[in-house]
Amino acid sequence: MAGTSSNVHFHDIPDVVLATIFSLVTDTRTRNAMSLVCPKWHLLERSTRKSLTLRGNLRDLFLIPTCFRAVTDLDLSLLSPWGHPLLDSSPNPLLLAQLLRHAFPSVVSLIVYIRNPSTLHLLAPLWPGLRNIKLIRWHQRFPTLPLGTEFIALFEHCRMLSSLDISQFHCWTEDLPQAIEAYPMFAASLSQLNILKHSSAEGFKSHELLAITASCPNLHELLATCMFDHRFVGFVGDQTLLALASNCPCLSLLHLVDATSLSNVLRDPDDEGYTSEDASITNAILGDVFAGLPLLEVLVLDVCHNVRDAWPALELLNSRCPRLKSLKLGQFHGICRGIDSRPDGIALCQGLESLSIKNSADLTDTSLEAISLGCPRLSKFEVLGCKKITAKGVCKFTHVLRKTLVDVKISFCKNLNAVSSLQAMEPIRDRIERLHIDCVWDSVDNSANQTGSSTEGTRLIKKNKSHDVGNDNSFSSGTWSKLHHLSLWIAVGELLTPLSMAGLDDCPSLEEIEIKIEGDCRDQRRPCMASLGLRYLAGYPSLSRMLLDCSGVIGYALTAPPGYTDLSLWERFFLNGIENLNLNELNYWPAQDMDVNQRSLFLPAAALLAQCGSLRKLFIHGTANEHFMMFLLRIPTLRDVQLREDYYPAPENDTSTEMRVESCRRFEDALNSINRHIPD
Amino acid sequence: MGYNLLEALNVRVIGSGDRYLLLAHGLGTDQSVWQRILPLFTPSYRIILYDLACAGSVDPDYFDFSRYTSLHSYVDDLLNILKALGVDRCAYVGHSVSAMIGILASIRRPQLFSKLILIGASPRFLNDEDYHGGFELGEIEKVFSAMESNYEAWVNGFAPLAVGADVPTAVREFSRTLFNMRPDISLFVSRTVFNSDLRGVLGLVRVPCCVIQTARDVSVPASVAEYLRTHLGGRTTVEMLRTEGHLPHLTAPALLAQVLRRALAR
Repeated sequence: MAGTSSNVHFHDIPDVVLATIFSLVTDTRTRNAMSLVCPKWHLLERSTRKSLTLRGNLRDLFLIPTCFRAVTDLDLSLLSPWGHPLLDSSPNPLLLAQLLRHAFPSVVSLIVYIRNPSTLHLLAPLWPGLRNIKLIRWHQRFPTLPLGTEFIALFEHCRMLSSLDISQFHCWTEDLPQAIEAYPMFAASLSQLNILKHSSAEGFKSHELLAITASCPNLHELLATCMFDHRFVGFVGDQTLLALASNCPCLSLLHLVDATSLSNVLRDPDDEGYTSEDASITNAILGDVFAGLPLLEVLVLDVCHNVRDAWPALELLNSRCPRLKSLKLGQFHGICRGIDSRPDGIALCQGLESLSIKNSADLTDTSLEAISLGCPRLSKFEVLGCKKITAKGVCKFTHVLRKTLVDVKISFCKNLNAVSSLQAMEPIRDRIERLHIDCVWDSVDNSANQTGSSTEGTRLIKKNKSHDVGNDNSFSSGTWSKLHHLSLWIAVGELLTPLSMAGLDDCPSLEEIEIKIEGDCRDQRRPCMASLGLRYLAGYPSLSRMLLDCSGVIGYALTAPPGYTDLSLWERFFLNGIENLNLNELNYWPAQDMDVNQRSLFLPAAALLAQCGSLRKLFIHGTANEHFMMFLLRIPTLRDVQLREDYYPAPENDTSTEMRVESCRRFEDALNSINRHIPD
Repeated sequence: MGYNLLEALNVRVIGSGDRYLLLAHGLGTDQSVWQRILPLFTPSYRIILYDLACAGSVDPDYFDFSRYTSLHSYVDDLLNILKALGVDRCAYVGHSVSAMIGILASIRRPQLFSKLILIGASPRFLNDEDYHGGFELGEIEKVFSAMESNYEAWVNGFAPLAVGADVPTAVREFSRTLFNMRPDISLFVSRTVFNSDLRGVLGLVRVPCCVIQTARDVSVPASVAEYLRTHLGGRTTVEMLRTEGHLPHLTAPALLAQVLRRALAR
């Protein structure tokens, strides 16, 4: 660049333009750095910061800074101690509420943990202009509370609310319809409603759904958990779907998820793929439903009960919902027969960019081929629990879509183990950005030979060689140059070690990895090797974030019968080697003892985690004794730690002494003490 | 040490009733181990719960190594708590080491306890010439020396992999809950416990006792329950629970509650 000598300084740019430049910066740490440059930048940064998550201890709430008055998106759900009643701890909650209002007058979107109903009574009047709210509660709802009380407080004061998300808010399904019907004007202006139930395997009944949707005719987005099983009172069937479509014709996003799909039920891999009961959903009616929702862009129908021969309805989907970009179907069969390689059924939805097929029993390689030809814009593809597809079919699929596909998930497909899944990704190996595979190591042809934990991963890989896709005798060893997110599922007792030899060894851009371990280890005697193999992930140079989810592992915390192992030994097995990775951020879900609802850290975890020398953020989704938490202070760079019991039911303070307010305070004081010099 | 005892040891009083019932937990657990028993007694008793100074849920700074060298300091804590609460009579339920503490406390203050209910109790863990306590000195020493020989590693949480899986069964059961405490504290406390021998003072107990034993508690042989029955000074009964393990309040709360109710009624 030719140096035209100019004396134009950054500060000569008009303030309005500077403000626009600053407002484009979203990364929090960058903003924090910017605000330290000079007073002018500090002012500019604060006046353009729109989003803020408060982390700090509740007892310090009165110290809230007032320089963030421009904040419109405020997250109050992560204050410490996590899940504690927001204003109850103060002797003067009204004053504290007013302080919040004074500090954040412009809040338009709010995320808040509602432990007690009184919190909403105090908060809702503060921001009458609130447009979006997400409520969170993993603790139990007070059983004596009259139906709908909490929502009524909200609807009464926040008349301009257009989006309500209670997917992580534990309440009864009867609470919401009651409140919504009481405020018809308010309901008519609601445009986004998320009533999925992540907290329990419960769903809204048909009449409740219809009551809600009848009150909210202007909904654009609806996500709901319901029951499709016709044996249940209030099941959702043809008539409900029709009525729903007629109640809310403006829907552009619709998720209807069966209550059983949110619980971690591992499907039996040997059955044909059909559930014992069919759903009460027929093609003709489905077609009419689609006709009633012409603006649909995103559709999720995760039914969990058979919807057979679905292709006629899906063919109508293309013409009746021309804007459809994203589709997920659970337990739909006959979605694409692929006869004569002609696209049919779902393959006619040419506009699809994201497709997720779950538990489709008759999905074959020919179907896949038809879909790949019929949906040329697909960038995201997920296939779960489809027993008939093979690696060859998936490989052809990725080959046809190699210009667009960047996000693939293959899970619980009998004929696709880890190695063959990776080989099927060969055509897009240099393009793919997000990938999920199951760490199933044994040979696909020999499914009867279920080895538990292999001590010789190499031997198994070599055995796989002869069953490769397309008779290619080398692994897809090569560079996964764009892969930045990898997600793995692994059965408890299996090892991660074969991963690097399976063809995933060169991932220069991999930043984040998600590992989900599941299984019941109450039967197994003990882990046969010293570690799961986390150490082998050190081969990924950019790896900095990990989500290690062992919540699907069930075992004994303290009460293992003689001869059986405790969860503490399994914990050591899972975490051994984690200190070799340069992790910056870790989310850890401990294994659980279901009998006593305990998910906590034991000594091995405390000791092993304390060795992660570069960890800056650590979130434990369970409980931990104070002295175990104190181990973590040995990590010099540790800045942000929290225990988040975000599972239902979250332990109440009087039954679990690890969550005392004083323990949390002592730990956080020690963490934030000025004697710790945390590098920027 | 200027601290509030009731706060430091997380003392809680819940329930409604005219009689007091104190539930004292054992090694490696804390008062939350009673969570499944509580709802069955809160309607009829004022229940007092507290954590031992060595429990994982107590601020480790409160654990004074020079003070807690024997069980008597724990007894001091217990008696001070009851004094601070103004309780001069209550029923006492103690598990494992708390059973020992209860026995000592009732000798010091004979009028304090109306009944002593001892779960998984033993006056002495180590075997002696005619006495079978369940643990051989050699076995225990092996565990302790494993802890001490690499004390640094031990204190940093790297308990030898062997303990918990490959040691003699009796020790394994014991060590299971041991590792819930801070390593230096747990080593110290287990030495204290294994060095204790209450056989000589059992006769000084005047309070009626109920010894509850599970069908197969690997850390307390069945003969110990019988030893207690014949040596405790007060009227003593032995109840056998048809369940296994050292933590019946966790594994079989309903069964234990039945037995507790019967014992408290008499």
